[in-house]
Amino acid sequence: MTNLKGSVSRRTILRAGAMTGGAAMLGTLPATRLFAQEPEKPSEIIVRAWGGEWVEALKKGVSDPFTEMTGIAVRHDLTEDNEIQPKVWAAVAQNRIPPIHINWDTTTNATKSALRGVTEDLSDLSNLAETTDLAKPVGLEGYPIVNTYGYVYVLAYRPEAFPDGPPTSWKDLLDPKFKGRIALYNDGIGFHFPAQVAGGGSLEGIPDDMGPCWDFVEQMKAQEPLLGEDPDFTAWFQNDEIDAACTISTNALAAKRNGVPIEWTVPVEGCKFDTDGLWIPKGLPENELYWAKQYINFAITAQAQQTWLDGLGLPGVVPGLTPPEGLAGDPSYPTEPEDFEHLIRISSAVQVENESEWFSKFKEIMQG
Amino acid sequence: MTDVTGPEGKRRYPLRWHVMDALEGAAGVLWPRRMAPFTGWLLLAPALLLVAVLVLGMVQIAESSLHTLDRSTFLPSEDYTLENYRTVADSATYLKVIWRSLYGSFLTVVFTLILAFPYSYILVRTNSAFTRKALLVALFLPFFIGQVVRAYGWLIILGNAGLVNDALELIGVERQRLLFSFPTVVFGLVQYMLPFAVLLLAPALTAIPREVETAAGSLGANWARVLWHVVLPMARPGLIGATLVVSTLSLTDFAMPAMLGGGSQDFIANAIYDQFFRTADQGLGSALALLLVAIGSLLVGAIFAAFGAGTLAMGGRE
Amino acid sequence: MEETALTVRVHDVSMDFGSGTKAVDSARFDLETGRFLTVLGPSGSGKTTLLHMIAGFLKPTAGEITINGQPVDALPPHRRSIGMVFQKLALFPHMTAAENVAFPLKMRRWNPKGIPARVSDFLDLVKLGDYRDRRIHELSGGQQQRVAIARALVFEPELLLLDEPLAALDRKLREEMQLEFRRIQKELGVTTINVTHDQREALVVSDEIIVMDGGKIQQKATPVALYQQPANDFVAGFVGVSTFLDGSATEGGVEIQGTRCAGTHMTDIAAGTPVRGGIRAEQIRLGRSAQAVADCDTRLTGHVSDMIFEGERLLYVLNCPALPGVDIQVYYHDPDAFDLFEIGSEVHFGWRARDLRIFRAAR
Repeated sequence: MTNLKGSVSRRTILRAGAMTGGAAMLGTLPATRLFAQEPEKPSEIIVRAWGGEWVEALKKGVSDPFTEMTGIAVRHDLTEDNEIQPKVWAAVAQNRIPPIHINWDTTTNATKSALRGVTEDLSDLSNLAETTDLAKPVGLEGYPIVNTYGYVYVLAYRPEAFPDGPPTSWKDLLDPKFKGRIALYNDGIGFHFPAQVAGGGSLEGIPDDMGPCWDFVEQMKAQEPLLGEDPDFTAWFQNDEIDAACTISTNALAAKRNGVPIEWTVPVEGCKFDTDGLWIPKGLPENELYWAKQYINFAITAQAQQTWLDGLGLPGVVPGLTPPEGLAGDPSYPTEPEDFEHLIRISSAVQVENESEWFSKFKEIMQG
Repeated sequence: MTDVTGPEGKRRYPLRWHVMDALEGAAGVLWPRRMAPFTGWLLLAPALLLVAVLVLGMVQIAESSLHTLDRSTFLPSEDYTLENYRTVADSATYLKVIWRSLYGSFLTVVFTLILAFPYSYILVRTNSAFTRKALLVALFLPFFIGQVVRAYGWLIILGNAGLVNDALELIGVERQRLLFSFPTVVFGLVQYMLPFAVLLLAPALTAIPREVETAAGSLGANWARVLWHVVLPMARPGLIGATLVVSTLSLTDFAMPAMLGGGSQDFIANAIYDQFFRTADQGLGSALALLLVAIGSLLVGAIFAAFGAGTLAMGGRE
Repeated sequence: MEETALTVRVHDVSMDFGSGTKAVDSARFDLETGRFLTVLGPSGSGKTTLLHMIAGFLKPTAGEITINGQPVDALPPHRRSIGMVFQKLALFPHMTAAENVAFPLKMRRWNPKGIPARVSDFLDLVKLGDYRDRRIHELSGGQQQRVAIARALVFEPELLLLDEPLAALDRKLREEMQLEFRRIQKELGVTTINVTHDQREALVVSDEIIVMDGGKIQQKATPVALYQQPANDFVAGFVGVSTFLDGSATEGGVEIQGTRCAGTHMTDIAAGTPVRGGIRAEQIRLGRSAQAVADCDTRLTGHVSDMIFEGERLLYVLNCPALPGVDIQVYYHDPDAFDLFEIGSEVHFGWRARDLRIFRAAR
């Protein structure tokens, strides 16, 4: 950035190279639109993202190649997903231009925004034709969100704390020796559904008969678990604060890649499976909306997914991706129908409607 | 200034006089002398503006606290209702969290004052310039480090693999969990509040003449009774001021419970955050926020009622 | 002198703060019960340090202090039976007048039932009976002084110490309070040590005066003796001698650059010894002619160099060719003729031999 002239000339060269290469990569885009009628390019587009491993993977797999192809710089806004939401909602309500072009969001949170009507419809993305069912949000009209990958809330554990082999059941965590050595998300997300099974209930009981879930959470409360968010889990494993956690496999993978001896498993009761997606807030100028859509369209190409999801260690929404090293057949990387047998998937609609109730119930027990 | 003409031509006045006269003249044009009675209001204007903006924000929060969240559209309800307040009143969790905030801020005040008082006393009374400087540096070095960074520091120091546990292991004590509990949160708050308390106590102690303590001694009081009957009562404005500041700051604190509480030691601010940003329920969040403002105001009001506003050494006194 | 009548004995007490010279250097004196002693000296003379050692705020680096026969150096202030009135009074602003006076009684664990009556007695003693419930800042300067006195005396201390409590008052109030101190001290018969730099106050209130300078006691005497028989030129200067003549001793006088002046040797001084003579302004006679000074033992002429009108009297400053370099100060008291002598006019002046006191020039 110190040599403005140099950077400009470098970008020009990249763009020139990208035009030909880009045509091949964005193969399904009509060539005429790309070359002749494409709207004016914004100098940059802003993508809200999660920090750490997450944004690194996105940058490498999607944003950098996108910039190379189009010449549009991508800025990553690391505002918490929960904090960007009211800002976007307020901007749309007041007819202002929203603060971001694309939100990388949990499908559950994104569904709230979709229900509120602040998302652009993405049904016309050409690459959607190539994707699996996972890309389509369940229970919503069209594509207000495009799911981009799935993930599992695994039971991550420190092998040395389980000398008799990996835990097979969530109930194994009730052993007194794990008192104060377990971590859960502070709103209990990911833990409710396996707890429902572990507490002796059935998945059909969601959302109307959640008693077994709360019984099991009560038992877990006696173990005095730590409650945190994504970055906490990696840190806690690294600092030897915990022996086991219910967390997204990516956090466990990050700790493992940082040299912490850690494994993960899907116990008999199962694990929650969920998706993340990308969406575009309403209120963008026409040309910026066009290029934001092109970004998402690119994110669901096999090429982008391969690199992006290698970084995250998660299964994508296009068939035929090569699993990252060591994750083939891993319970946190489901690809075949039988892989999904032990994974619990609840529709976003049910989650969105009941989540805050589950959340406050979980808080009530944990804050007690 | 060498070629001065006109009636003053013969005399050389200092340059400063010319500058000051010119400034006075300019000030006279911008703010004529007849406006002088309103000068006080002019100086108050920025503060009043700030308060007005705050009040506007409060009104908006009050308005949104009267709408519940519709979970099929994620929009606030059209009609006005007190439902959010009922939710808070009926919830064991929120009562627990409110009680924890009050109890935590009470403990923080007590421990902070116990630690800050001797600290300020030595700071004020020491004859050694070195001791005074050392105390000031030790006080203000952490002051310039933000709350979050400091809390993070405690995570490292008090962690299972941290410095304190290393030391415990050296003397043969088993490693133990020092983090993520209510005492840890209070500990973090006390450490954070100490400089505020010392800053408020030191001037109050400086105002107590050394001779008064000497006199109390010669009249038959040992040091404990000098402290109890003379120093503490005379330091009252500082003690009240420190109590006010420390109690309101810790009552509304977010970072320490969030970072040192391990997720299960929420204060009211954490509950508000959850409603605004985790469940997107602005109505309930607003209700909680207003409640926090009310509790804080009641606390300050109670202290003023009990000890009088004059305790802050404000207002005229001969 | 009976042993029982002795309250304070200061025995070769020294204080060395380690700054080179000693703040107090081998001070030694006794004080009998019921007497009013004033320690008089300029600032830095060590008088306050001496007082603080007696009070127990400082521990002497050498020597011993006894009160009623008991060595007190090991006792902290609150274990000594000493009442003290401080320079800035050091009253408790958060208490009323009565609470201030009751404070030492509570601290010294008097029977609580007896406290209110005794507080009233002592407030009456200082004429503050009607002000008992006033806060300190609601009292005038003089009233605050009296609260401080009552507080220092109410618990029957063996000794009362006054640390220049009148220094900050205006002159009229100061003179009034001097008499008040005297009255109360006599009424209660409490042994008192007062510290001041005001020689007039010392002369007015004291039974005995100690003059200190440079950490050393220069003289201990009654006010009259001090005034008439100062032990050296420093004491003389501090009790009002304003004109000094440096020269060498002669039989019955002093010779200054060839001029012989009649005077009285205060000690046995051999002729030729360097000496210093001192004379008070009111003891020099002044006149337009030689007759006016006919009965003086020393008669000289000079010129008026300055005249200062002080109201009840005039102060003339004279220059005399026979005494070069000396400003001779003369009080002139004549209600009819303030401007008797013009500046520059020639005058005759002189003194009697007994009034020019001649000291060995030690300093």
